[in-house]
Amino acid sequence: MLTFQGFKAGMRRMAGVALFGVPFGFAFGAGAVEAGLSIAQTVAMSTIVHAGASQFAMLELWRQPLPLLSIAVVVLAVNARHIIFGAALAPLLNALPLRHRLLSALWLSDANFADMQAARQSGSRDLGILVGGGFVMWLSWVSSTALGALVGGSEKDLSRFGIDVVMAAFFVAVIATPARRIENLLPIGAAALVSVATLSLLPHGWNVIAGALAGGIAGVIRER
Amino acid sequence: MSADLAPWIAIALAAAVTFGTRTLGPVLMARVPSTKRVQRFLDCLSTSVIVAIVAGFLARGTPREAVALAAGAAAMLLLRKPLLSMAIAMAVAALWSACQS
Repeated sequence: MLTFQGFKAGMRRMAGVALFGVPFGFAFGAGAVEAGLSIAQTVAMSTIVHAGASQFAMLELWRQPLPLLSIAVVVLAVNARHIIFGAALAPLLNALPLRHRLLSALWLSDANFADMQAARQSGSRDLGILVGGGFVMWLSWVSSTALGALVGGSEKDLSRFGIDVVMAAFFVAVIATPARRIENLLPIGAAALVSVATLSLLPHGWNVIAGALAGGIAGVIRER
Repeated sequence: MSADLAPWIAIALAAAVTFGTRTLGPVLMARVPSTKRVQRFLDCLSTSVIVAIVAGFLARGTPREAVALAAGAAAMLLLRKPLLSMAIAMAVAALWSACQS
């Protein structure tokens, strides 16, 4: 199901979280211009890639001549968690016509995926919530990137204001309630353990995938 | 390749790869029969992926992040307000940093 009511609800639900994202967009815009991107390129990247962690990773590789293959591989590695998000939402996504399926998947990112999970726990099946949340996150990401690119920034240390913990704190807020349920203990434990254990063994970002799969498998095993 | 074009190619490439990651999940799952066990797997997957992100974040961090997120989790369980619990986690982390410097 994909409704306009859901879209509006998603925008409302994520508006506050999107505001918390502004310092990240600002830091990305300022950092990108410093790394040698033009303002137009910086804004274009946030507009069409719209995946913050991978965009910051790209800046690390941004040296002439641009290593296109490395960029593609690193972006794939950092964003591979989207595959898990999409798989987890597959029962809802695949019930939609193809056009709506693509439209919904386009807005998939960490925060609105987490919010969609919260909505599902309270019984909603409306992917409009995902799309509306993604849209408001995208608006904030693109506009704060533009602002950072135009103004530049002397304040790079987001941790001084505690901003570095904001997104993780949102994820914690989403899982705090399901984490208390006893039947989720084993999957959550497995996910956390494997994610931490593989952190230094796997390429950047893949520990999240290993942890998620471990949690999923633990859930199935416990069921039998 | 012209040096002016290369950044645009890199940006388009990143966008294409990212779009691929956003669409691959449902495409893969369309090929898997939707049994009870698969549904159970996907249910646990959705919570686990968020847990795995947070666990990795904590493992890379210091006690400062752990204390801040614990405060956020406690606030969420008591008050049930996500934005407020984010603000509390942020305040604890900022306070910790202020005391360190």
